[in-house]
Amino acid sequence: MLLLLWNGLCATFSFAIFPFLVIGVTGGIVIGALPGLTATMGVAVLLPFTFGMEATRALVMLCGIYIGAIYGGSISAILLKTPGTPAAAATVLDGYELARKGEAAKALSVSAIASFVGGMVSTVMLITISPVLASFALRFGAPEYFALAVFGLSIIASISGKSPVKGLLAGMFGLLISTVGLDPVTSYPRFTFGQINLYNGFAIIPVLIGLFALAEAFVQMERIFEKAQAIDTRFKHGMVSLKETISLLPLMIKSALIGTFIGAIPGAGADIAAFVTYNEARRSSKRGNEFGTGCIEGVAAPEAGNNGVTGGAMVPLLTLGVPGDAVTAILLGALIIQGLQPGPLLFTKNADIVYGLFSSLLVGNVLMLLFGLLGVRLFCRVVELPKRIIIPVIVTLSIVGAYSMNNSIFDVWVCIGFGIIGYIMQKVDMPSSPIILAVILGPMAESNLRRAVLMYQGSYSFLWTRPIGVVFLALAALSLYSSYRRAHS
Amino acid sequence: MKKLVLALALILAVCGCAAFAADFPTKNIKLLVPFAAGGGTDAVARALASAAEKHLGQPVVVMNKAGGSGAVGMTEGATSKPDGYTVTMITREIAWLPQMGLAQITPDNFDLIALANEDPAIMLVQPDSKFKSVKDVLDAAKAAPGTVKFGSTAKPNFYLLALELNQKVKFSQIPYNGAAEAIPALMGGHVEFSMVNPGEAISQITSGQLKPLGVCSDKRMAGLPDVPTMTELGYPIVTGTWRGLAVPKGTPDAVKAVLGAAFQKAVAEPDFVAFMKGRTLGIRFMNAKDFKAFVDSDVKALTEIVEEVKKQQQK
Repeated sequence: MLLLLWNGLCATFSFAIFPFLVIGVTGGIVIGALPGLTATMGVAVLLPFTFGMEATRALVMLCGIYIGAIYGGSISAILLKTPGTPAAAATVLDGYELARKGEAAKALSVSAIASFVGGMVSTVMLITISPVLASFALRFGAPEYFALAVFGLSIIASISGKSPVKGLLAGMFGLLISTVGLDPVTSYPRFTFGQINLYNGFAIIPVLIGLFALAEAFVQMERIFEKAQAIDTRFKHGMVSLKETISLLPLMIKSALIGTFIGAIPGAGADIAAFVTYNEARRSSKRGNEFGTGCIEGVAAPEAGNNGVTGGAMVPLLTLGVPGDAVTAILLGALIIQGLQPGPLLFTKNADIVYGLFSSLLVGNVLMLLFGLLGVRLFCRVVELPKRIIIPVIVTLSIVGAYSMNNSIFDVWVCIGFGIIGYIMQKVDMPSSPIILAVILGPMAESNLRRAVLMYQGSYSFLWTRPIGVVFLALAALSLYSSYRRAHS
Repeated sequence: MKKLVLALALILAVCGCAAFAADFPTKNIKLLVPFAAGGGTDAVARALASAAEKHLGQPVVVMNKAGGSGAVGMTEGATSKPDGYTVTMITREIAWLPQMGLAQITPDNFDLIALANEDPAIMLVQPDSKFKSVKDVLDAAKAAPGTVKFGSTAKPNFYLLALELNQKVKFSQIPYNGAAEAIPALMGGHVEFSMVNPGEAISQITSGQLKPLGVCSDKRMAGLPDVPTMTELGYPIVTGTWRGLAVPKGTPDAVKAVLGAAFQKAVAEPDFVAFMKGRTLGIRFMNAKDFKAFVDSDVKALTEIVEEVKKQQQK
């Protein structure tokens, strides 16, 4: 295996492959940083260009985009309060607060390092124990997914900031939104008012862009001609120190492992991993109370977690031939187009390609770290721009992003609508992250609960007879309890 | 409003007909895909678009417009300008969405150009399943109606409903979001069998992680010659999915002829054939006339099933 990996590494650094990896990673970072352009979209749009390419080259470039985009989303999340991808929604919570305190450089560098750790740990897991992970992932049935979603939703308590009641209200509103669309079991239209654009429910990207980017732009507009910056651009502290990085390392590795695991389960991706790891970091931290006010752990955990998904999502793809998330679903298509059959046979029949992929993931993560750290100064320039320039740019990017996801004007109205809702919420000091969390997890919780009930012929016994599910439900209770205790201590 | 648009479009078409039929196409052609980028329909559309470009002499640009099981994109396609520059990839959904009340457009809002792809449904179980044959599955369902768990890739599931109505049996349908979710559920043993299109499960079938029991087509598949058809096994169930091309109603005949000829050549392009074979997707070409008859008969075939779905919804 080591020999294969060595051969793969040699191939990765060859002239035939390396430039494509560099293009993929840099392209991915840019795609990720722009709101509305997600990792999924980047990979899908570039897929046809790889049809004519040699297999390893094509896969290396697409994987480069994947890891780059998952990291890139954090850049705009930290600097502009605009998560570039849903995976970066959790990074906003502390990342933007850090930037406001003048520690943008620190947040950005931690994000790059955490993403690197997440990517590396998950790739190592992918190389070493993917069969184990895959068979564990297959044990996830509807009851387990439901319990995982409930655990995810319990995180609302810990991302609600000062007022848990307002957080709960926002979460409930999010759950209500997530019921719009065709009923997952009977296909009966719910709350669609005859509008076919609503049959699939609200698309998450326009909601996300509206609630974060547009709402923030609206708030900033009030003071558009004021000289004072919302973000202090005098970098009081510069990049993160080596000592601090080392102290964050255990947290990053733990988050990376959680991310890998969530990635390995089909149907759960980077957005969920980011929130779960954020919650876990807060729960286990001594300074849990300070989360949400600009805590560096609050950036390190979700960024390690969401990039941890990248390796994890490849596990079911390569071992079972089923995708672990939306991006790997497209990679599956890329593999098949190249004439490769994902699944256990791939490792024996096309070991060179598999190990070429592994080693380029390793090298790709190093490149991502490099570009991320080199780019910190450059990225920070963005916030030095005067508001009267940056705000119109954000608004334009938001609208274009909302439209381009599905070439839909309807989505633009959704985005603007949620921008106004987000603006009002900011005015009454209500957190908007719980809405996003509920929109991501609501459908997962609902459809899996109903699937489980169908599987058990109408009985709810799965709630206490399935060990993995029980563990997640217990974790959900624990998460609620620790938030409660924190609020009352 | 829509009628007005259609009427206006028609007038435009009639007036403009003579002018541009002579030299069509003179600019980019938009191929509207009513499903998201990266999915199966998108993949077929992109391969077909690049194969058709050289025969049309103009770039064919794929544009995805997903939502409402294809209703959003197909509605936009049907109501766009009938000048041949907006071609829609229509899928089997057009045959049942309107009957379910989930779309305002029907196949009659389109002028059909050609059928390009057809795939049968295939019944799958785990390799160590207690079901060794289609008969085992049906016997179990007859012995205990509504208990055998079926992992469904779409809701409503017309493959399962065809089987249930044909064999007068009842399964417990567990709905998933597409094959990407239903297949791992079957592999993990959370459901007992499933019916998908071959391309969706070919890697699991060739690696032995899933076992095919029967194909719902009238003849065996080239890619899976050992798998018997349902008809051979004594269960005459023919069902599957299809994808074809259409333009808005009222498009000039000359333009339709140009498109029809180009796509007929496109489906025979070696690149396209190789692509479809690689993904275990079936090529089936039909010209406008045959395609129209094909769609009409599918609408009729689905009517009974749709009535059944509506009955279940009301429960």
